[in-house]
Amino acid sequence: MSDPGPTLAPSGSQPDPLSEAVLSCSGVRRSFPVGDRRLEILHGINLELRAGERLALMGTSGAGKTTLLNILGLLDRPTEGSVTVAGEDAWSLSPRRRANLRNEQIGFVFQFYYLLPELSALENAVLPAMIKLSRRAYRSSRKEFLDRATTMLTRFGLADRLRHRPSQLSGGEQQRIAIARALLLDPPILIADEPTGNLDRGTGEKVLEILLDEQSERGVALMLVTHDERLAKRCERVLYMEDGLIQADSSAPIPT
Amino acid sequence: MFRTFLSLRYLKARKTNWIGMAGILVAVGALVLILSIMAGFLEESRRTLRGNLADLVIQPSFQSSVLQENGKWVPMQTDVERMLEIIREDPGVAAATPQLQWYGIFAPDGGESALEKPMQDAIQLIELVGIDAEGEGEATDFRESLEAEFGKKPGLGKHCNVGRPADLDDPFVNLRDQRGRRSRPKVPILVGEQLAYLWGLRRGQEVSLVTATYDEASSKLNETAANARFQVVGSFRSKDNETDSRRIYMDRRALADFLQRDRLWSAVLVKLKDYERDKEEVRARLWSRLHAEGFLSAPGIRINELRTWEDFRATLLAAIQNEKALMGIMLSLVLVVAGFTVFALLSMMVTEKRRDIGILCALGATPRGVLALFLMIGLWEAVIGSAFGALIGVMGAYNIDAIERKLSSTFGFQIFNRDIYLFDYIPAEVSFSGVAWIVGGAVFSTLLFAAIPAWRASRLDPVEALRHE
Repeated sequence: MSDPGPTLAPSGSQPDPLSEAVLSCSGVRRSFPVGDRRLEILHGINLELRAGERLALMGTSGAGKTTLLNILGLLDRPTEGSVTVAGEDAWSLSPRRRANLRNEQIGFVFQFYYLLPELSALENAVLPAMIKLSRRAYRSSRKEFLDRATTMLTRFGLADRLRHRPSQLSGGEQQRIAIARALLLDPPILIADEPTGNLDRGTGEKVLEILLDEQSERGVALMLVTHDERLAKRCERVLYMEDGLIQADSSAPIPT
Repeated sequence: MFRTFLSLRYLKARKTNWIGMAGILVAVGALVLILSIMAGFLEESRRTLRGNLADLVIQPSFQSSVLQENGKWVPMQTDVERMLEIIREDPGVAAATPQLQWYGIFAPDGGESALEKPMQDAIQLIELVGIDAEGEGEATDFRESLEAEFGKKPGLGKHCNVGRPADLDDPFVNLRDQRGRRSRPKVPILVGEQLAYLWGLRRGQEVSLVTATYDEASSKLNETAANARFQVVGSFRSKDNETDSRRIYMDRRALADFLQRDRLWSAVLVKLKDYERDKEEVRARLWSRLHAEGFLSAPGIRINELRTWEDFRATLLAAIQNEKALMGIMLSLVLVVAGFTVFALLSMMVTEKRRDIGILCALGATPRGVLALFLMIGLWEAVIGSAFGALIGVMGAYNIDAIERKLSSTFGFQIFNRDIYLFDYIPAEVSFSGVAWIVGGAVFSTLLFAAIPAWRASRLDPVEALRHE
């Protein structure tokens, strides 16, 4: 079992600027080969995400938001610079240790939910625990994880959908399962890439409520990529990205 | 944990994986079945090749002297009773009997028999074998060859006019004439079934044989006993056609009389208690003992002096073995084909499942974990496919005869022609170590083929994989 994470921060409260940074990057550059040249997408990003903080990342298409998110989520390696997760320089670690960091410290919520189609809602939700634990360890704590996932899914209004496959569920239901999956191991960091971008407005609102409620209740640091101004307004801090750089950092408290 | 769980789930959910499993099942099943039938045929052929040969055959070169280890020449011993005594003392020996072998041809006998016509056209060398009927029965399959059921298998048997000797325990007894009297002394002989058929021999028929002997004193070949008369008292059928078409058995002393020779034996036949286990050991032991006693040359000098029955048929046996190995290698290609199927299916799956691989990486799966996941899918296919394949193959091998009869009657033509072979069933011999090798080979080759797509999956860039639609 992983740590339950930092203690609760009340909804809408401003994070303590002195609180510990759970995720940070410094001097991050990322370039890709294009023909015989290299195209630089990120031009040296410095960023800190503090425990319990709710941060929105905005910007025009092609500004480099998703690239930055992938780097912060340890899915992509920066061409230059470093990423620190839980006090460890992630890219100096072994692939195994880095994968463990991803598993235990970071929860992902994607725009397109990304559930495994062969698994039921409940099985998708407990997948991080299956990945984390050996067969023997999982067997002994299986019930605990299933209970935890069931409780979460029930709270999200999916009590009668536990055995359903993703193809039998609506987009909103799938995204709720994805949120449950991201939170199963109580990671201190939650990364969400346009979590409502693929949902209609009403459904998106409901999903967002769940996401933000869970975030504030658990005190998870949330980094949210969005194009939605209204959603950004519900975050304590908003970063604006343009041309691979953070152009503005608005830390002003915005009442929810 | 996710590797086992997901691999089984993928296997169950994706029906295309079953094609790979079915491929392995068919390949392993066919391999087990065909190799079992091949092994059965080869074992039957081995028995056929062996005929009436004994486990060990000792044929001294009858030189004047033998060189001993101490550098001294000692006169070569020829006392067969002493030799038999030495042989029977060996703990690995079950029985031993002397034999006298020579060659002859049928002689024209005044036109009273059916022999006249063929004799004018062809000369056939006949193997004259003098035996002690009881000892021969103990050391070889001689007794069984007398008990053969004539008129059944092979087809030639029904044309044989001779049949079993009247008394199987004492086969060399003259037949009584129509008035119940024994005819004038003639040498009773048992002829090979094929020989009897080829020469039109009947039970009770008298034949003449002619032979030549080597006179050691004058160094000349002497024609002898041209008019010696023999009486056909029975026929035999060993499993070897060659033997059955050229051999005549008679009493050892009668043959020695016919040859007008002092020495009553030319070979000693030995039966072992457990041939397969002890053959090399007993052979070495007997050779060294008989050499020490002056019966044989030193081991390795005259390799023909003490041979196993396999040495007599070495070329054919090697050919059979070679054929079996070749068949195994050729059939193993079926496993390669099954492996390719798994390779193709898994490659397709890795391409289709790119996004799932990206998701797993995002959730914390290591590249090694992804590699193991796809390897395990290959492993399940191999284990389940080859286990069922082996089961079907073994069951098929045990019931192949019934299956063939059923198929033959269903389709209205004979798949296995029982007239061609010396056996009227399809022989199959299941070697469980062979089955284990086949299953092991199938699992190994499948894993080898699965390793390539599995490795590709583990090398996928998670960001690229997540972008996959």
